[in-house]
This record gives sequence, C-alpha cells and structure tokens, in this order.
Amino acid sequence: MPIASIVVPSYNAQATLPETLASLRVQSFQDIEIIIVNDGSTDDTARIAEAASAADPRIRVVTQLNRGLAGARNSGIAAARGEFVGFCDADDLWHPGKMAAHVAHLRQATDVGLSYAGSRLIDMQSQPIGAVQKPRLSGVTAAHILKRNPIGNGSAPVMRREALQALAYRPRTEMERDWVFDETFRQSEDIECWLRLALTTDWRIEGVEGFLTDYRLSPGGLSAATDRQLASWERMIEKLLPLSPGFFARHLGAARAYQLRYLARRAISDLDGPRAMRLVRQSLTQSVTPLVEEPIKTGITMIAALVLLGGGAAALKFAMRGKASSPKTSA
Amino acid sequence: MKRPHIVHLIDDTTAGGVMRVLDHIRQSPDLARHAVHSFKQVKRGTLAFGRIDADVIVSHLTLNWRGLPGLFVLRASNAGRKLVHVEHSYTESFVALNVAKPRRFMAMLRIAFALFDKVVAVSKAQGKWMLRRDLLSSSGLRVIRSAVDLTEFTRLDPVSGPVRVIGAIGRLDTQKGFDLLITAFRALPDTGLKLAFYGEGPERPALEALAAGDARISFEGFAADPMHAMSQVDAIAMPSRWEAYGLVAQEALAAGRIVLVSGVDGLAEQSDDGAVNVGGLTVAAWTRELGDLNGGGRTGAPVKARLAHCAQSRRAFEAGWSGLFADLLGHEAGGGSASSRAA
Repeated sequence: MPIASIVVPSYNAQATLPETLASLRVQSFQDIEIIIVNDGSTDDTARIAEAASAADPRIRVVTQLNRGLAGARNSGIAAARGEFVGFCDADDLWHPGKMAAHVAHLRQATDVGLSYAGSRLIDMQSQPIGAVQKPRLSGVTAAHILKRNPIGNGSAPVMRREALQALAYRPRTEMERDWVFDETFRQSEDIECWLRLALTTDWRIEGVEGFLTDYRLSPGGLSAATDRQLASWERMIEKLLPLSPGFFARHLGAARAYQLRYLARRAISDLDGPRAMRLVRQSLTQSVTPLVEEPIKTGITMIAALVLLGGGAAALKFAMRGKASSPKTSA
Repeated sequence: MKRPHIVHLIDDTTAGGVMRVLDHIRQSPDLARHAVHSFKQVKRGTLAFGRIDADVIVSHLTLNWRGLPGLFVLRASNAGRKLVHVEHSYTESFVALNVAKPRRFMAMLRIAFALFDKVVAVSKAQGKWMLRRDLLSSSGLRVIRSAVDLTEFTRLDPVSGPVRVIGAIGRLDTQKGFDLLITAFRALPDTGLKLAFYGEGPERPALEALAAGDARISFEGFAADPMHAMSQVDAIAMPSRWEAYGLVAQEALAAGRIVLVSGVDGLAEQSDDGAVNVGGLTVAAWTRELGDLNGGGRTGAPVKARLAHCAQSRRAFEAGWSGLFADLLGHEAGGGSASSRAA
C-alpha cells in the first residue's frame, strides 16, 4: 500500500498531461501512487494515460463519463489508498520535493488535515511568468480561507485521509461513492471544500515554505466568465452560511470585497476597462478591508483600472510592461 | 455491604440535557444498587473545593482556563480519591465553530483531563475525537452514552399517518440550528404541515423575526414537561451545529417519533438507533427531508422496538457507570467502601 496518493483529474489534457505525469513520477518521495482520472476526455488523454500506466506500475487510470473537476477528484479519492492524498490538475506541475515536504509536515503536525505550499505561475510553454502565489502559511482560520484562500489553487494541497473522510458525504442521488468536493459546483468547488473543512471539522489547515506547484495560466478571454464566477462564489456562500451565520456576518463584506477585487484584476488582465472599473467600485462599496489589509495590491488594482479606463489597453500595457496575465478557469 | 459514595460536582444548573441526566442518576434504582450518589453545586471557576468526603468524585464542570486552578485544588485536596470528569459540552464541531485558537484550547483540555483518573465521553463520536486529538490516553477514556429514563416516552401513542407537526425542542440558541430549520421549512409549500418550537433562549427574537408572517410556525415557550411537548408532535428536527450527544433524539425515538438529525458529533450515531441523518446543515437538504416527512414515507419505530431500545439504553448506562466505579475502586461494584481501604 502506498503511503501517498496523487489524484490527477484529466479532461482533454493531451497537451499537458505527459509533462504533469513526468513531474509526479520524479517525486523524491517515492512511495506514491498516481491516479489519473480520465473525466470523459474526447482527445488523446486515454491513450497517454494508459501508456503511462503501462510504463510505471505506480500509475493507475480511472475512466468515467464527464463529471467535472469535483467529480473527477471524488473518483480519484475513492480509488486512492494512501494515507495522504494530494491533487494535481493535468496541466499543472509539482516540484520534485513537494510530496516529501507535505508528508513530513503531516507526520509532524498530527492535527493538520490539509497541508499546502505556495505556487509559481507558468504560461502555456511552462515558463515562469515571474509571478507567484505566496500565501499565509500559519495561523490560518476560516476567515482567512473565506477572504484570501491561502491554499491558492487545486494543485497545492495534500490532505490527510482522515480529513477527507470527515468531509465525505453521500448525496441521495449518488449510488457509487462519496463526495468530498461538491459536484453541483463547476466553479468555487475548491474553496467550498476548504471552507467546509474549516467550519465543520477541527482539522487544521497549514502551509509549508516554498513554491512547490507550477500553476498554469491559460490565455485571456476570461472576462466574460467573471459574472459566472461571482455567481458560483455567491452560491457557495449561500450553501455554507447556515453552518455559522455569525461567522459570515462578521467576514462576508470583506470577503466579497476581496472576491470583487480579484475579478477586477482579471478584467484588467483581459484589458476590459469598464468592467474592471465597475468591479473595483463594487469592491469598495462592499468593504474597505482590502484597502486596509492590503493597501498596495488594492491601490495598484484601482490605479490599473483607472489607467485602463482612461488611456486604454496601450497605456496599461506600457505601465505593466507585459506582466498582465489571467488565471485559468476550472474545467 | 456498604456501597461506595459518589459525589457529583455541578456548576451549571440551568435546565437542559445535563440536569436531566443528573436527575436520572439521582433517581435511577439501577445506579442506586451500586453506589450512593449525592450532588454538590459549586460556583464556576471556584477554588474552594476542599476535601470532599467521597469514594469517587465526578465532575460535570465546564472546563476552561479560568477553571484550571480550581481543578488543581480539587485534585490536590483529594489526593487519595478517584476523580472522574464527564465532558458534556466539547466536541469537534464545537471547536470548529467556536474556538479561535484550537491548539491553545486543546492544551487546556489535555491539562484538565490529566487531573482525572478517568474521563467520560457522552458519545462514541466525542470519544473518538478525544483520542484523535490526543486529549488523553485510551486507557483514561470511557464512553458512556448519556441517558434519561425513557419509560414514559415509550407509553406515548405512536404516530400514525403522515406527519402533521414537526417539533423542535431545546434552548433557542445558535447551537441548535433552528434558524436553518425555519428557512428550510419556509421553503416548503403549505400542505398543512406545522413547525412548533419548545424552548426559550437568546435567539428567540431573531427566530421569531425569521418566522414572521408564517402562521405554520409557532413558539410554545419552555416545556417544563418534555413528555407534553413530545406528545404534541409527530417528528423531531435536530439541525444542531454541535451536539455532544443529543438526548432529545433518544427521547423522541423512544416515543416513536420520526427524528431528523444534522449528523454532527454525537448526532451521527443517533441514526444507529433509527434517526434520519440529513447529512449536513444545508437549507436544500433540510427542505428535502422535511418535505418527505409530509409525504408520509417515513414512520416511527413500532412499540416493541421502542421498548427494547429503552431497556437497552438503560442497561448500557447502568453497566457503564457501575463498571467504571468497579474499575476505579478495584473491586466488584457495590462490594464495599473505598474509604475504609484508604484509611
């Protein structure tokens, strides 16, 4: 039985899956299994996965009709045998020491249920774009997760099996296996899961030093999806609010302001000035907490939106010198 | 044959599950066979414990940092006595929702638990949590599920036909999740189904506001006689956010009522006894289950099963406590006094 499992949800991932698998196979922590969940791909994913499995006995393939990212992760969790279970989307990369760092952390801190680390952002050519996700690592509370989601992305966490079990439930319509991630979400499924972990269990969420995931950004054109993203975020809030109305009453305004600021930054990346400005204004109406807690980042967002609105894309491009980028959407 | 003397320490005498369990200990002929029980009320956080004349001292106290010095005094003044603590409050979900600094809080519990010879968890889930968090060693833990006398409840008329009244019994406090219940209930179309609250508490104004304009929802106030409240309802809803055990579920099951529970902490194992685990605290899940009640798809347990459950619960409670005393005093339960040995 392997000590650790890595679940790789894969949907039409032929372009990136080989590189992802290569990064997992060379993990310095060797006692692993890699579970590729082919989530109804229509490209070459199945062939690549089978070939990888034939080449490395630690790799297994689970094939299913398309259920989305949450559904693919849940199938992977159900198949996983490790005491620790990590996730790596089929277009992201793990640094060689990542699993070792998290296994050491989880073994040492027995009350930690989810261990994560920072990430480097990479482009379609797997080149670092010079930006990182450098989250808070300790003293993480539910409020931090709601506002800033320090876990950052879905390829960052490694979880303890017991913590996954604490989250698992079986919806009435589900006949096959438990859900850990809520499959009714096509976006915000990560944060829904982490926040539920924080609000319904006493497993702690803690990070380790380093940038151990390469998180791939796909090119722009995402601005139009921001409304949908906001809607799913609000649905996540609506779902979890009954767990602790008092908690949400205290933190929701600030959290919504951060969420709107994040979407404003994406609109800026997509050079959509009017939308960016509208989101910045909405953010400030919700709460000034982001301005107080993170004055520089919030200020830059405001200025960038203004420059974009006033001077257009050229002015902003000049000001940013090509640093603009957009986070990818989930599958 | 002299029975050992057990002194129970209590710092909270407000009406509720803990007092009901203590009343049960006081009145139970089963428990009286093995030991003489007496009760001592103390001020919360007091240092003035002094020497207590007893073979076993059972704390039902609320643990916190402020109370720790008092516990040290209790331990030191009664060095030769056996000390037991019953943890009525703290659970995993309690910590998740109420404790800002969990490591600090767990440290307090570890220190407090270490002062006792045994710690009693009131549900299996709570006991598992204590072990998972290394709050004590497994040899120091006993799980004795709380119990009250259920006989009267088994005599209630069984529920027949579709559910007409859903009851919510307990303190009107955020812990109980009654706000969620109202929201979920209001999402149902009006089919004549009613929702009745029995209890008082700080959340009453907020709950009344949430229920305003919906004549199906009523607030009946505190029910001094839990039998009466139970007789008025066909089903019981317990959407608690945390709950060490959930005595009301046991009463309702004994009464042949349909019981819905959120499944947190000790409520999860109520489904072993026949409760329906709604599986969480979402409005959607509760609306669905409440709606199904009205459809009449679920029925309460038959009388025979209720009587068997009642007898089983009584036996387990008696065996748990008499076994614990026997274990602590190093002889068969009821077989003599420890104070004579200690001399």
